[in-house]
Amino acid sequence: MLDSFILQTLNGISYAALLFLLASGFTLTFGLMRIVNMAHGAYYLFGGYIGLTLAKSTGSLFLALIGGGIAAAILGYFADRVLIKRTGENHLTQVLVTIGIAYIIGDVSLEIWGGDAQKLPLPVFLKGIFELPGGIIYPKFRVFLFLIGLLVGIILWIIYRKTQIGAVIRAGVDDREIVSANGIHVDRLFIMVSALASFLAGFSGVLGGAFLTVYPGAEWEILVFALVVVIVGGLGSLEGAMIGSLVVGLLDAYGRWLAPELSYFVLFGPMAILLLFRPRGLFGSANMT
Amino acid sequence: MPFLASAYWLSLITQILIFGMLALGVELMLGHAGLFSLCHAAFFSVAAYTVAILQVRYGLPTVIAAPAGIVLGTLLGCIFGLSVRTRGVYFILVTLAMGYIIWGVGYRWASFTGGDSGVTNIPAPEVAGFSAADPMAYYYLVLVVLSLTLFAYRRLIYSPFGLVLRGIKSGEKRMLSLGFNPAAHLYIAFVISALIASLAGVLYAYFNKFVNPVSASLHISVEAVLMGIVGGTGTILGPLIGAGLVLGLRNWVSSFFTLHLAVMGLVFIAVVIWAPGGVMGIFKKWLTDAKER
Amino acid sequence: MAQVILSLSNVSKVFGGLRAVDQVSLQVTNGERRVLIGPNGAGKTSLFHCISGTHHASAGKILYLGRDITHLHEFDRTILGIGRTFQISSVLVDLTVLENIVLAILGIQKNKWQIWRHYLKIKGVESKALAQLGQVGLQGQADVLVKNLSYGERRQLELALALVNNPQLLLLDEPCAGLSPSERKNLFNLIKSLPRSITMLMIEHDMDVALGLADRVTVLHQGRVILEGDSDEVRQNPQVREIYFGQA
Repeated sequence: MLDSFILQTLNGISYAALLFLLASGFTLTFGLMRIVNMAHGAYYLFGGYIGLTLAKSTGSLFLALIGGGIAAAILGYFADRVLIKRTGENHLTQVLVTIGIAYIIGDVSLEIWGGDAQKLPLPVFLKGIFELPGGIIYPKFRVFLFLIGLLVGIILWIIYRKTQIGAVIRAGVDDREIVSANGIHVDRLFIMVSALASFLAGFSGVLGGAFLTVYPGAEWEILVFALVVVIVGGLGSLEGAMIGSLVVGLLDAYGRWLAPELSYFVLFGPMAILLLFRPRGLFGSANMT
Repeated sequence: MPFLASAYWLSLITQILIFGMLALGVELMLGHAGLFSLCHAAFFSVAAYTVAILQVRYGLPTVIAAPAGIVLGTLLGCIFGLSVRTRGVYFILVTLAMGYIIWGVGYRWASFTGGDSGVTNIPAPEVAGFSAADPMAYYYLVLVVLSLTLFAYRRLIYSPFGLVLRGIKSGEKRMLSLGFNPAAHLYIAFVISALIASLAGVLYAYFNKFVNPVSASLHISVEAVLMGIVGGTGTILGPLIGAGLVLGLRNWVSSFFTLHLAVMGLVFIAVVIWAPGGVMGIFKKWLTDAKER
Repeated sequence: MAQVILSLSNVSKVFGGLRAVDQVSLQVTNGERRVLIGPNGAGKTSLFHCISGTHHASAGKILYLGRDITHLHEFDRTILGIGRTFQISSVLVDLTVLENIVLAILGIQKNKWQIWRHYLKIKGVESKALAQLGQVGLQGQADVLVKNLSYGERRQLELALALVNNPQLLLLDEPCAGLSPSERKNLFNLIKSLPRSITMLMIEHDMDVALGLADRVTVLHQGRVILEGDSDEVRQNPQVREIYFGQA
C-alpha cells in the first residue's frame, strides 16, 4: 500500500513536470500579453509529432526535443503575427480564433501522421528502470522528465525573479502601460515571451510523446489539465503554475489509482473549492479578467 | 415543411433544430449576459445519457425518462453555476474544464456509461400510446418543442430579467450601484441556459438513437458558440440560423473533404475576425444601408 | 431637532501604504446640502466609495438613518435609499437611454426578477421613466443608444439614474464635470431645485459653485477633514485659501 502511494506520488510529480512546461507558457502569455491561446495544446501536439519524426529518423532525443520546440515556436510565431494579432484584447475572439487554429493543426497532423497513438523511441540510456531506495522500481524516463521540468522551472524562476528581463516581464504582467511608457521595446518582449511559450509547448509535446504517446486528441486532453493548473494557480503567475501543476499532477495520479473510472472528477474538486473561496486562483491578481 | 420528404434532408433539418436549441441556451449566456460558456455540451450530454440509460437499461417509459433527463441536466447546471463567481477569461477556462470533466467521466466510467461505445438502441419516445417513431413525426415534435421554447425565450429576453442581463453585460459595476446583485442574476440565467441545453439533449437522444461521450465533447460546446456567433449574437433567431449554416456547411464539406475540422477552424477564424455580428449583423447593416440610400 | 441622515465616525480607507481617507468623521442632517471640497487627491471620491459601498472602509463606522451600513453590499445600500452619481461617467453605453432608466427603476424593485412580462408593461415603469427623463431634459432621446449621446447628455442621464427612485440621500460626485458653461448652469439649477426631502452630499471642484449651493461645507485635504463650516467661514479661512491657491 505504501509502495503504491509512493509510486503514485512519483507519477504525480513527473506528470506535474510535464504540465508545468505547458502551463507556464500559457500563463505567462496571458499575464503579459492578455492573450488566451487555446492552440497551446496544438503546439504540444505538433511539436510532439515533429519530434517523433526526428527521433525516428535520427535516433536522437536531443534533436527531437529541440526540433519539436523550434517547430512549435515557428508555428506559434506565424499564428501570432497573422491571426492572433487581429483579435486585439477581445478574449472571446482570441479563444475562438485559437481554437480554430488548433482544429487546423490537429486535422492537418492527423492527415500527415495518421490516427494511431505513436510512442517516441527513447535512447538506450533512458530506457528501463531505476531502483530507488526502499526497493521501488521506477521508469528512468519519468525521472528524467521530472529533472527536466525541475531544471526548466528553476531557470524560468531565476530569469523571472532575479534578472532585469524578468523584472520587466513581471512589471508588464502587472501593468502593461508602465512597461511601454518606459521605452522598452514591448513588441520584441512579447515576441520573445511568446516564442518561449510555444517552444516549451512543443518541447513538452516531445517529452509527453515518449511516455503518453502522441495521438489525435492529445492536444485537448493536455490543454484542459494545463488550464486547471492555471485556474488553480492563478493566471499570470509562474509560482502559481508550479504549485498548480503539483496539485493537479498529484490529484490526477491519486485519482487514477483510487477511483480510475471517476478520476476526472478529481479535477473538479480543487476547482470547485477555488471557485467558492478564491475565484482568481492561489496567486492570481484581482485585475486579471 | 412537408415537402422535405427526403430522409437525408429531414434528418439534417431535425438536427439543425436540436442543435439550434443547444446554441440558444449557450447564447443566453453569451449574447445577453456576456459570459462565454464552453461547458454546455455537458448538460446536453447528461440529459441525453439520462434518457438513454433510463429507457434502455431500466426500461422506464418516456414520461419518466424525458423529464428526468431535463432535471438531471439542469441540476448539473445548478452545480456548474458556481462558475459565475468568475468573469471574462477565467469563466471561459473554468467552463471549458468543467465541460471536459463530464466528457472524461462519460468516457472513463465505462461500467455505467458504456464508455466509448455509449448507450445504443434508444427507442422512440412514446407517451400515452402515441409514438414519434416516424422521422416526420419526430421532426414535428422537435419543431413544436423548439417553437414553444423560442416563444418562452423571447418573453425572457424582453422581460425585466432579460434587461438586467443586458445591463450586467454592458456595465456590471454600474448595475451594483443601481441595486442589482449581478451574481444572483447570472446564476439564474446560467441554470436556465442549462435547462434549454438539457431539453436539446433529451431531443437529441431520441433523434440519434444512441449517446456516446462525443455528445459531451468540447467540440460540441464550441460549435454551439460558433452557431450563435455565425447567426448573430444577441439575437433570438441567430442561433437557429447559425445552426443551419454550420451544420449545413459541415455536411457539405465532409462529403468531399476529409479535413472538415480544419475547414470548420477556418470558418471560426473568418467569421470571428471579419464578420463578428454574424448573419443577423450583416442583415441589419444591409437594412440600415438600404434605408440611407 | 434635525435628524441625522448620515453619520461617519473615524472612517479610513487604506490602499497598500496609502491612506486615501484618514479618520473622517462627519454628520449630515435631514434636508441638508453638504458640499465636500478639497484639491485633487484629497480623498473625496474614495470617501464617496466608502459611503456608497463601492469600496469597503478599512476602519470606522458609517451610519445611515441610524443603521450601521459600514459593511453592507453596495446594492443593498441603494435599496435602502442612497443614490449616487459617478465622477467618471459610468452609464450603460450599449443600452438605450430608456433602458438605463428602466434598470434604475427596477434596481430597487422585486420586479427585476420577472421573466415573462415585457419590462415596459410592469406597472408604472414606463411613465416613471419618461417623467424622470423629462425632468432632466432627455425625454426626446429615450430610444437613443447611450453610446451615441453627447457627454453633456450622459451627465444628465447620470443624474436621472440617481434621482429616479427618490433617494433619501443623494451623493453627487462632481455632477457637472467636463460640461460647457451653459450645460453646467442648467444641470446645476436642476440640482438646486431638488426638494429638501432629498438630503444631498456633493463633491464639487469649483469653489464658487460649491459655496453657492451649500448649507455647510466640509474641506478635505490628504484624506483628512481640515475644516467644516458654512460657506462664508470656508471662503475666508486662510488655510483653505492656501491649499487651493497656494498649491496652484
